Amino acid sequence: MGHGTYLTSKDLSARNKAIEVIKSKFSEIIEDLMNGRNPTLVIRKRTLTNTIYDEANGLLKLGEGVLKRSFLNVNESKKFMQTLLIASIIYESLKNNEYPTIRDLYYRGKHTIKYRDLVTRKVKEENTWDEQKESDSVIRDLEVFIDMLREDMLILSKEKGKVVGNMRIRSGDDVIDLSKMGHGAYSIEPTPDLIEFLDYDVEYVLVIEKDAVFQQLHRIGYWRTNKALLVTSAGQPDRATRRFVRRLNEELNLPVYILTDSDPYGFYIYSVFRVGSITLSYESERLATPKARFLGVMMSDVYGSPKLGKKPYLSESERKNYIIKAKEMDIKRAKELMNYKWFQTPRWKVEIDIFLEKLSKLEIEALTSKGLKFLADTYIPHKIEVGDWLA
Amino acid sequence: MSEVESVEKFRALSPSEFFYRNREIAGFSNPARALYQTVRELVENALDATDTHHILPDVKVVIKSEGGDGSRTLVNSEGSAEEYEGVLYSVQVEDNGIGLPPQHVPRAFGQLLYSSKYVLRQSRGMFGLGAKMAILYGQITTGRPAEVITSQILSKKIHYFKVSIDIANNTPVIHEFSIMDKNNEWHGTVVKIHLIGDWQRSKQKIYDYLKRTAIIAPYANIYFEDPEGNIVMFRRSTEEMPVPPREVKPHPYGVDIELLKRMLADTSAKTLTEFLVKEFQNVGELTALKILEGAGLKPDLKPSELTLNDITELMRSIKASKIRAPSGRHLSFLGEKLIVLGLRETLKPEFAAAVTRKASVYEGHAFIVEAGIAYGDKVPPSDKPLLLRYANKIPLLYDESADVMRKVVDSIEWNRYGVTLPAPLAVLIHICSTKVPYKGVGKEAVADVPEVEKEIELAVREVARKLKSYLSRKAKEYEEAEKAVTIAKYIPDIARSLHTLTDGKFKREELEKELLQLLNKKLTMLKIKSLKEVVIEVS
Repeated sequence: MGHGTYLTSKDLSARNKAIEVIKSKFSEIIEDLMNGRNPTLVIRKRTLTNTIYDEANGLLKLGEGVLKRSFLNVNESKKFMQTLLIASIIYESLKNNEYPTIRDLYYRGKHTIKYRDLVTRKVKEENTWDEQKESDSVIRDLEVFIDMLREDMLILSKEKGKVVGNMRIRSGDDVIDLSKMGHGAYSIEPTPDLIEFLDYDVEYVLVIEKDAVFQQLHRIGYWRTNKALLVTSAGQPDRATRRFVRRLNEELNLPVYILTDSDPYGFYIYSVFRVGSITLSYESERLATPKARFLGVMMSDVYGSPKLGKKPYLSESERKNYIIKAKEMDIKRAKELMNYKWFQTPRWKVEIDIFLEKLSKLEIEALTSKGLKFLADTYIPHKIEVGDWLA
Repeated sequence: MSEVESVEKFRALSPSEFFYRNREIAGFSNPARALYQTVRELVENALDATDTHHILPDVKVVIKSEGGDGSRTLVNSEGSAEEYEGVLYSVQVEDNGIGLPPQHVPRAFGQLLYSSKYVLRQSRGMFGLGAKMAILYGQITTGRPAEVITSQILSKKIHYFKVSIDIANNTPVIHEFSIMDKNNEWHGTVVKIHLIGDWQRSKQKIYDYLKRTAIIAPYANIYFEDPEGNIVMFRRSTEEMPVPPREVKPHPYGVDIELLKRMLADTSAKTLTEFLVKEFQNVGELTALKILEGAGLKPDLKPSELTLNDITELMRSIKASKIRAPSGRHLSFLGEKLIVLGLRETLKPEFAAAVTRKASVYEGHAFIVEAGIAYGDKVPPSDKPLLLRYANKIPLLYDESADVMRKVVDSIEWNRYGVTLPAPLAVLIHICSTKVPYKGVGKEAVADVPEVEKEIELAVREVARKLKSYLSRKAKEYEEAEKAVTIAKYIPDIARSLHTLTDGKFKREELEKELLQLLNKKLTMLKIKSLKEVVIEVS
């Protein structure tokens, strides 16, 4: 394996661990088969009804419900085959020191089975899977089955998140100074667990939803003057960014503030950082940051709140210029959010109520239009200082 | 051929005139029907001369156009003219039966109601009237006598007759007679009749008739040459034949005044008690005495001395007495095996089954109902089940809508038996009885006699249940085969994956074998011997 030479030790040990776990989990299947038992995969159910909100830890968790996927069950035999197929492909990639993406795995496993229907005697064809969502789904099943995230199996995905700040990390065999990235930023690698935190001079983490606002704050040296680590998820956060933020909070005890648009979609992005995606709760235990704080932009920042005795950050005329009318989707999402336990606090109720009353939203960019200085020197530091954030 | 009887019992009955005037009732109402009826009567005689005597029938039917077309006017016995539209045909039917005693030939063909079939034994035609009606019809329409060639099994001679009927006197007229030496083993009878017929209009019916005859007599070879020169051969598919019917004495419940009168006149019994015991079935001395007591007649009275009043009283007492039901021993049913074979050979179905019911009784007449079902494959789908009706092994082709068999078949809820109409479903019903309860004089439809109707329904339902269990088993088999394929097609991928996941410790072939074995263990109705049966290629 020629390219194996360049593997870092971290990478190698991660591979070996994944290989061992997969091998041992599937040895049970072999044992079933060789003893004349129906080979059965017992996997925790990834359904909404089997998703539990762990209030003490602020996490979503999978419940006790399991599904049994067995070879001899007509309704499950294809999924059984698909799960084994994906496992064997991942296993092979691990052994061959490869770094497949989920798209690669889709292509590697996709092939045609030509078979004869015993009733009609006709020859038929069937693909192991047709669309990537099918292979993606069994990858998730495999993650739950072996209790390992895909990143731990060296499956890569597109890098999306970026970070900059006063911190040095080790990635692979290199030391990277996150304060020496020039006008650029460090792309958070798809396997954030292989990052080693070396030293830092940072007081908090500021996660900005919008890449453009992240760049603006980076250019004026916000992280330098405020001892902040700036992170952007560039929209809906990917798994690597979430895991990276989680590690900063959990391992370095850094407070994490999230800055998004002031609308239900922004609130939802905060929710993903905080508890994880409701349909992918099994990731939540590893990816969520339950202590993440929602810094803004709050509805009460835009309109003020007599109930809270809070004055708005925008004047009447600014509001008039910057706010956008809410769409049907925004209202629908707001109502959904109210079903989530972690939004059912009096403080969040104030925010959502204002939204539902005003039916309008505001982008972060509106605040930079008011003045980048306002955002960097007044809005963010002031809110952090007075503790005007939501949990 | 132990059952071969070379001598039958013959007796004379009544005149030709009546039948000449009423030939419609025997099925000779027009040239098309007459041609069909002639074929039918001669074929039935041919089969009776063979299978009844345990000879495997070889029947050859040839219809020839003899030229001379168009219509002709005939003068009937009452002097009025009748128009016959048709063509001159000859119908010749040859069998390999027992042959006829030569001395009986003139009367057997030239005198109505002279027959060997008067004794109580089920055969195709009860009175042997049909063939003579055909001769009579031919004689009326063409003026030509019938030709008969016959030779009995052990005879060294072949006899040839040209015979017609003297209608007024009901006596045979012999036009020609000759005797030839026989130097081979041939035996049987050839009958040739000339008549005015209509082939085009009877063609379908004649073919249907022969096909349906082939269904119910799968042990027969039937050769047919039609006037267009087409030759069809219905080959025998078995050498097994139904058990020949036995002769039995009449059951008291089954006789009427006329028959009783004749029996009293003919009996050799010295006393009434002896008469009842000797001439009837299921009558012992005790029963006989009870009947006579009920009729107020002395047991030792001479049978010939009874007055009409005495006979009426005797009849009344018979009907009122308790007498054990008649047996079905004299009935010649086909049996399930032969019906199934006939249906299979002729209709080429996917499934065939049959049922023969036990003998039952109506009005003192024993009868047996048999039913068969052919389903699927080459059976043509139809909105109503295709019905093949038979009475005493004779296919019934006319008046289907009036027949109780049709009524019963249409009253069955077929979906309860797993059949959704229209469906490729044929139902065969066969009634055997010494007296089939025909509707009207045409003898083409069976009447709604409650006992008969009930037996038909029970027979059809019984055989329908066989179809149902076949269909549900088939559905289950399909279901399981589908399941098996669903699982089996993934075996190669599963084996390959497990091979990889165990670092090659288990060979793919070994894993495939184990997986297939596991699957086969679960299957109950089929086994997949090799994965190759299902998986063609994984690429």
